[in-house]
Amino acid sequence: MAYSNKVLDHYNNPRNVGALDKHDPQVGTGMVGAPECGDVMKLQVKVNPATGIIEDAKFKTFGCGSAIASSSLATEMLKGKTVDEALEIKNTVIVSELALPPVKIHCSVLAEDAIKAAIADYKKKNSVGNHAAAQVAQ
Amino acid sequence: MEHPSQPDGGGVQSARCRQCGESSGGELFCAHCGSLQRPATDYYVFFGLKRVLVLDTEDLQRKFYELSRRLHPDRFTWKSAIERQYSLEATAILNDGYRVLRDPLMRAEYVLKQEGFDIGEQRSKDVPPELLEEVFDLNMALEELRLGDEEAHGQIEEARNRFLAMRESIDKELETLYRRFDDTQDRGVLQQVRTVLNRRRYVRNLVNEVEKELAREGQPAQ
Ligand code: FES
Ligand SMILES: [Zn+2]
Repeated sequence: MAYSNKVLDHYNNPRNVGALDKHDPQVGTGMVGAPECGDVMKLQVKVNPATGIIEDAKFKTFGCGSAIASSSLATEMLKGKTVDEALEIKNTVIVSELALPPVKIHCSVLAEDAIKAAIADYKKKNSVGNHAAAQVAQ
Repeated sequence: MEHPSQPDGGGVQSARCRQCGESSGGELFCAHCGSLQRPATDYYVFFGLKRVLVLDTEDLQRKFYELSRRLHPDRFTWKSAIERQYSLEATAILNDGYRVLRDPLMRAEYVLKQEGFDIGEQRSKDVPPELLEEVFDLNMALEELRLGDEEAHGQIEEARNRFLAMRESIDKELETLYRRFDDTQDRGVLQQVRTVLNRRRYVRNLVNEVEKELAREGQPAQ
């Protein structure tokens, strides 16, 4: 299958590959997998507790090019957003930004799920005493 | 999906043959006049098999060859347009069905899909988090080995053996579940099959990765 240029760009120069300390209370970690293909993705955010703004984001994906590109793009989009804004990120944005074909939509879903999981983890860690995050914590 | 000649998916004797007007006996070829009926789209019904996960593949193969012979286009050159149409449909179902049913994994996926456990419907939440952690760590380890020196080779082979053993034990587990489903027709068992098949996909990827790596190592340096 032909990848779009945007996918190739993120695939060849993935942004923000790496890991943050998952024990850091400011860090939320999301680990997700796509059962359709057996690919796995880890995405982490580092949140400034005072402002609720995501200051850093990292990912590591073992999977197809579209999944790598989706998570790379996701980390770029996350930086500078508040945790609640981050939850608004929909996979459809990733699909159109990367021009993913229908068979690759689940790869973008994986990235959306990873964001949600990372934020949920952060909120769980900080469920008490954190204004912005605490309000919506599940 | 409709199978007018087999409303229950079984060999129900209700349909009338278009050709002779008698009951076709629910068979692919009319029990009365032998003309080809509209084929069932369900692979199990089409092959006249019980819906089981452990299939006698030799029997399946025999049925496949026999039906291939009976559906050969030459036999339909002088038949009615509708029979020729049916023969084309039947041939497609025959080939697809054979490809799916003879492979235990595809067969299980097929039954799961028919029973509403479609892979497309699920999200990552159906995968146990410990498994994801484990697969992720195994991938990380493999990547490190890959970047390492020749000494890593032994470890990569070890990793392969480990993944192969994991896959083997998964396959054994599946086999047990398949038999349990065949005995009980319990949908709860299918849910378990779904979970184990998901796990298998992750392990399969690991096996593929490690074998790719070993194949790459095996090539002469450029
Ligand atoms: S093919 Fe499954 S994540 Fe892309
Ligand atoms: Zn007839």
